Amino acid sequence: MKGANVKTVKLSILAGLVASFFAGTALAQDKTLNMIVIEGGDTTAMQAVVDAYKASHPGIAINLQSYPFAQFFQVAELRLRSADAGIDLVYVDAPLMASYASRGFLSPIDPGIDTSSLVPSALDAGKYDGKQYALPINNSAQVMFYNKTLFEKAGITPPTGLTAGQTSTQGDVDKLASTERWTWEQVADAAQKLTVKDGGRTTTYGFSVEQFAELYQLQPFGESLGTDVIGPDGYTAKGYLDSEAWTKAATYWSELYSSGVSPKGLGYGEGAQLFGNGQLAMFAGGTWNLPILAATGVDFGVAPYPYFAGGKVLTPTGSWYVGVNVASANQTEAMDFASYLTTNAEGTKVWFDALQQLPTYKPLLDTISTSADFDVFPKNVFRLGVYDSLNTAKARPVTAAYGQLQDAFRTAFTDISNGVAVSEALKSAVQKFETAANRVAK
Amino acid sequence: MTRTRSPLLLVAALLAPAIAGLVVFRLYPIALAVSDSFFNMVRGHQVFVGVGNYLSLIADSAFWKSLQVTFWFNLLINPIQIALSLGLALLYVQKFRGIALYRFLFLIPIGVSLPVAVIIWRIMLSQDGLVNGLIGIAGIPAQPWLTSESFALYSIIAIATWKGISYWMIFIIGGLQNISTEIYEAARLDGAVAWQRLWHITIPLLRPTLLFVLVADVSINFLLFAPIFMLTQGGPADSTNVLMYEAYKSGFVFGDMGRAMAIIVVVVLILLVIVGLQFRLLNGKQEKK
Repeated sequence: MKGANVKTVKLSILAGLVASFFAGTALAQDKTLNMIVIEGGDTTAMQAVVDAYKASHPGIAINLQSYPFAQFFQVAELRLRSADAGIDLVYVDAPLMASYASRGFLSPIDPGIDTSSLVPSALDAGKYDGKQYALPINNSAQVMFYNKTLFEKAGITPPTGLTAGQTSTQGDVDKLASTERWTWEQVADAAQKLTVKDGGRTTTYGFSVEQFAELYQLQPFGESLGTDVIGPDGYTAKGYLDSEAWTKAATYWSELYSSGVSPKGLGYGEGAQLFGNGQLAMFAGGTWNLPILAATGVDFGVAPYPYFAGGKVLTPTGSWYVGVNVASANQTEAMDFASYLTTNAEGTKVWFDALQQLPTYKPLLDTISTSADFDVFPKNVFRLGVYDSLNTAKARPVTAAYGQLQDAFRTAFTDISNGVAVSEALKSAVQKFETAANRVAK
Repeated sequence: MTRTRSPLLLVAALLAPAIAGLVVFRLYPIALAVSDSFFNMVRGHQVFVGVGNYLSLIADSAFWKSLQVTFWFNLLINPIQIALSLGLALLYVQKFRGIALYRFLFLIPIGVSLPVAVIIWRIMLSQDGLVNGLIGIAGIPAQPWLTSESFALYSIIAIATWKGISYWMIFIIGGLQNISTEIYEAARLDGAVAWQRLWHITIPLLRPTLLFVLVADVSINFLLFAPIFMLTQGGPADSTNVLMYEAYKSGFVFGDMGRAMAIIVVVVLILLVIVGLQFRLLNGKQEKK
């Protein structure tokens, strides 16, 4: 590792020297922008957009600094707080936008950028105090993957969904999503029958969510039963997170683990892996799992994200934004790239082709709904995302204390899965969140 | 002018690198922590709040709970680690068949980096892991080592102890080898049995070594962070939420650096008091003799 790094550094210094030799007489406005992004697919996709951008903007070089998901937030927090001019562009998780904007880390988006082509709800989630601070790069949608073979083996009827060899128009998908959506009760019931234990060890799990104990994934649990996770002021959780609705939702969650139908404490990517190995029958996760699962050979279908019987259908939404660091010396250039990435036909298409995430750029959404390319499975799954993002998506709460909320929520739902009593865990989460949030609120 | 030059300059020059290191890597961060603990970040501006962050800690139940966990953790882990490393060191200096293998085995944990050790232990302690497999043979049902409120802290103590004791053992071996064998022979002639030799000769003569190990071990365990960060994130139900983790979360997850620094300053003060007491107790006894 170390040796390789030294080599890379040496090489890049050499390359830099050679480049500067040739560029000595080149344009005076040559600039390098630095952007922090998440390692993996996001970086690959961003590199593709950067390459496309460079073709039309030869004077600008964009250097991506990628960090693993687990460390990204801490790194971003530290570097933004210290007004590190070494970052121009920031990859911003939707709910953290308010926290960054409230502390003055992001520059207001240049009003000259035409944002009329973006989905309004996604655009709104990039606003704080009425001002736009970040632009949406893409949206997200959650669906439920189910293993057809395992359902057949257990002799149960799977949910109605989109499956291989099938084509469907946007109208077909809309009908499926509005009338055939499973309830969480149906999921628990089927999961019970699908779970296979062999001498104390579970060989097949019935159901799992992708993002274990995360607010993004579980917010629709309690909210579809009628109570938001926190109050509209952004700092009150009492009467919300410990309400009857959330107690019911958390009890459902606790039973998934006490009955052993869900595997405990799955890390990032482990759910998809279990599902891909045929050890998990139902998997509620993002559409970004499609290419991974399609490559595994598991015969699967894709159903809409479930809801609680008698409750409202709500689905997770929101994804990544791009913002410009206040401390950056290259505001104009950074704004221009942010605009290219989010509001330009070419930039958004390159991003979508590379990452296959639900777009926020309206012309691309229209393409998904109408183009024959998206009739066939698994591409028609994006139409499910289009339906949900227009009809059932519920954004995460806008609060400068989102980090505190996310942590208190994760702790409570992890503890509940480990057997801590629901009422105790929710009470403790309310107390922890409010104490920490009040320090931000003042 | 043939007066011998004072060695002061030489002494200063020789000490300079060490002192510079101490200032840059120890005193400066502490000073920074103290000064940052008097500020809060409000809407992008540093606002002076005086002792406000300390006052709010007093009313902060999460802080008190975390302090309690930290004390309980240290009250257990330090005596356990020191007793075990002393035991290991005593075994290490014995001469019997197979001692080489034993010595080799007990030096292994030193060669494994902490994060690697933690990852291996996490796998071994998981629901379907080696430890549960072994106790399963004995007919004991699988235990949630890292995910239950009643086990998690003790599992971390066990992992940190496994990793730490052979390191401290080396210092104690050094101390043991400084004790002249003649003293033992004389004691043996006087009819002292093994435990009497240990209690009346080995331990008193090891005091300077033990003092060093005690101080260093307590400081390290008070500041222990990696296993908690990697294994439990302070959970379940805050049962492993030591002050270092609480401070980390406050500063780096919640962006509340003022509170984080106030906690760190409290940790440093507690450590100073404990270390001061340890020096006092252990030196005091020696002077009385």
